[in-house]
Amino acid sequence: MRVIVIGAGQVGQAVVEALEGAHELTLIDIDPARLLAVSQLADCRTIEGDGATRQILQEAGVREADLAFACTPRDEANLVAAMLIRRLSNARTVVRMTDADYIEAWHEGDIDVDAMVSSELATANAILRVVGLPGAFQADDIAEGRLQLVEFEVPGDAEPDGIVGRTLATAEIPAESRVLAIMRAEKRLLPRPDETIEPGDWVVVLAAPPAARRWSHLLAPDGLTVTDIVLLGAGRVGTAVARVMLGRGVRVRMIEADAGQAQRVAEQLPDAEVYHAHGLDSEFFSRELIGRATAAVLSMGDDPKNLYAAILARAHGVPLTVAVMRDPVSEQVFELGGIDVAVNPRMETAALMTRFAHDPRIHQIVMLDDDRFEVLDLTMRDDSPMVGRRTAEPPEAGVVFGALIRGEEVLFADDAVLQPGDRVIVMVDSERAAVVERSL
Amino acid sequence: MSAASQASAAGTRRRSAVDVAAVLDLVGALLKWFALAFLLPVLIAIGYGDPAWPFLVAGAATGIAGLLLDRLSPPGEAERLRPREGFLAVALIWLIVPAFGALPYLLGGGPQLDRPLDAYFEAVSGFTATGATVLDDIPALDHAMLFWRQLSHWLGGMGIIILAIAVLPRLRIGGRQLLQRELPGPTEIERLTATIRETARRLWTLYVGLSLVAILILCVIGWVGLDPAMTPFQAFAHATSAMALGGFSTKQHSIAAFAPITQWVLCAVMVLAGVNFLRLHRLIVERRPRLLARDQELRLYLAFLVIGAVLIAVELFSASSAPGPGSGIREASIQAVSIMTTTGFASADYTLWGPLAIMTLLLLMFVGASAGSTGGSIKVVRHLLLFRVVRREVRQTIHPEAVVPIRISGRLIDERAIRSAITFVLLYVLVFALGAIGLLLDARRVGADLSAFDAIGAAAACIGNVGPSFGATGPFGSYAGLSDLSTTILTVLMWLGRIEIIPVAVVLTRGYWRS
Repeated sequence: MRVIVIGAGQVGQAVVEALEGAHELTLIDIDPARLLAVSQLADCRTIEGDGATRQILQEAGVREADLAFACTPRDEANLVAAMLIRRLSNARTVVRMTDADYIEAWHEGDIDVDAMVSSELATANAILRVVGLPGAFQADDIAEGRLQLVEFEVPGDAEPDGIVGRTLATAEIPAESRVLAIMRAEKRLLPRPDETIEPGDWVVVLAAPPAARRWSHLLAPDGLTVTDIVLLGAGRVGTAVARVMLGRGVRVRMIEADAGQAQRVAEQLPDAEVYHAHGLDSEFFSRELIGRATAAVLSMGDDPKNLYAAILARAHGVPLTVAVMRDPVSEQVFELGGIDVAVNPRMETAALMTRFAHDPRIHQIVMLDDDRFEVLDLTMRDDSPMVGRRTAEPPEAGVVFGALIRGEEVLFADDAVLQPGDRVIVMVDSERAAVVERSL
Repeated sequence: MSAASQASAAGTRRRSAVDVAAVLDLVGALLKWFALAFLLPVLIAIGYGDPAWPFLVAGAATGIAGLLLDRLSPPGEAERLRPREGFLAVALIWLIVPAFGALPYLLGGGPQLDRPLDAYFEAVSGFTATGATVLDDIPALDHAMLFWRQLSHWLGGMGIIILAIAVLPRLRIGGRQLLQRELPGPTEIERLTATIRETARRLWTLYVGLSLVAILILCVIGWVGLDPAMTPFQAFAHATSAMALGGFSTKQHSIAAFAPITQWVLCAVMVLAGVNFLRLHRLIVERRPRLLARDQELRLYLAFLVIGAVLIAVELFSASSAPGPGSGIREASIQAVSIMTTTGFASADYTLWGPLAIMTLLLLMFVGASAGSTGGSIKVVRHLLLFRVVRREVRQTIHPEAVVPIRISGRLIDERAIRSAITFVLLYVLVFALGAIGLLLDARRVGADLSAFDAIGAAAACIGNVGPSFGATGPFGSYAGLSDLSTTILTVLMWLGRIEIIPVAVVLTRGYWRS
């Protein structure tokens, strides 16, 4: 496919990296330095100029394009670019958007683009999935939320019980769920019936949401449900998280260092308690009993500050810390520093956007473990050689069938016969993904 | 308009930042129209065989004065009224209109009103919808004169300036400032979606419509014989007085002269007229009652009324000569409603009641009706705002960093609006206190017998545009016994109460007049 990407910031860069190789990419940005940086990492054409103008879009070959991403940080520029592309070509348009009003207008069909992706919402959802499942360190919705893909860490000091120390065949695995992989010492173990779950393992589980919660309960029995959340940094991400949390009846306290922003947020969210204070003020934490919160979300837009505030929150007794990172490099720092979950908004956004670059049969791709593995959600071709074969006999080694969606029914059967039109959720090595895609 | 052209327009006037010519021009235009109002009592006078000449003379004088002022500035020069001129215009109009309105009293009001100060007091009390009177013998006035008193309430209640905005094309621009100054209460917190002219027209249409319905209901009560005293003339007199939240009555004993059913109807009219008219429009014309149900000012308004009535009822029923349950509840409700909405009708002589009832009535004088109604005083929404500010302060004492925006009915209130509400309440209390002290000083000067409570009551009743107060100036008494100086003080208080003090405070600053 011919793909145009407007905006070479972190989102644009992540999109380019995800699509590179399989597609013919053209990247547009006004800043030549950013273009240069991206073109050194990935193979793409670069055009310097304003992507919201006809001239630059034509120069980029918009007429022949199949897909266009508008991912500058400016909503209106993205919309203008998308409107121009709509008139100048038949390309599908995917737009990065922050303003909730525009997103609503798009949902109601009043803005004519193929997809709108919001960094803030994507990040907020990533945080919510983790906060909702204690013990999980990554969770993704699959098949429109009917399933969840969750990575759990088995505590290193876990005693043998119904799950830990048993083979998969004998373990008391919750119904409506399946283990897709066990990660031990950086290696992926296939979920053979004789494989055991040991303390210190990472377990990748595909489960219906109630089953995911049971998993969470089994592996983190003392994990608490979040009823009281503290948000440090009331920017767009913080506000988006607060909005969803308030909707679930959770007590939300927001701490914002900028007086104007604190006022605006307090005005927007009547049910949140907003404080104009520094997130690094221990005295303030004691006075307001911040330590009684069940989770702290750090989204101050400054990674060192987020780290410091997270440790401070932990020191005051907050059991779960979730940090939103600005720089991808911080992920490791956060992890070593003891932050429970690190969320990268740009990666979340790029992951959502690049879904649209795939074969229309593919509903979703989730990347796991630094992109070494992928979980695909795709509909089988009618003439696939896999039709009529059994899920227990994968087309090649390393492919694990998770679940089938046939009509409205979700099947976790270990051994089912594949039929044309089935939607399959399958885990593969990233290098083999294209091959598996073709054979299905 | 540049400063230079202003100066030339004003002729030889000293250079000032205020375009006085434009203000006088507006006053002139208003007076021209106001002259027409004198034709109505002329018709009544002809109908009842009373002398019509006082109204004809007063109307002619008003019309001529209007024309002269209108000629003062060449056409086209004063088309635009800037916000700055709005303050002066409002302050002047509410002084000048009653001055012309007082002419008929002076010319044909008989011995009770033949002194200019008394006539002016009665006119100011009428147009500001206060209802305080200097008449010891109200029925001594002829029908036309009584009609003029009631009409002055009705014209002033919704506001002559709002009426002017609705009809005068020149106020298309600059009217917003006037409307906000005129409409009682902090209406800057209202979202006015319609144009100013449209808003003014809506308000007046609703006001006229509701008044007609009230008149009709009272007429029907009279026709079917439920209340033999209720003639069409009385129906007009009392329905308009209640709609304007004025308080003048044609009877010496106010509405005690009427049957209980009439009193209840008037009570309902007062409750309705005390609601924000912008809200009433939404309910009656746009038929969106849900918005009204969520309205916190309305809820607090009703709560104040109920609490006031209950407190008074407690006093009445615990008295040695307890009234029957029906009349006790009626008297408690009507007095609470009448005083709180700043009307001033009375169905009983409450000055004879016990201290709990008296104290309750005094405090209700400081509550007032809703913003955007025809009532005076502090207004319920300002009390609500102050409650919210206090709540915020208490919260911030425990949580110093908490950011707490103030909302009313879910809508955010701008910090400026909050400050201006606090400022208003402080100014109101200050002016009230100065007024009460002034009355007592004057009483010492002339050796009159005025108690501290009666001074407080009279000042509160006048600045709140309530009307009757306590002691000799109670509902069945009058303000006739006061000295000229005290009458002047109370006249000023009524004027300040109606225009909500701020315009006068602004006009009195030196900075207002300098560029």
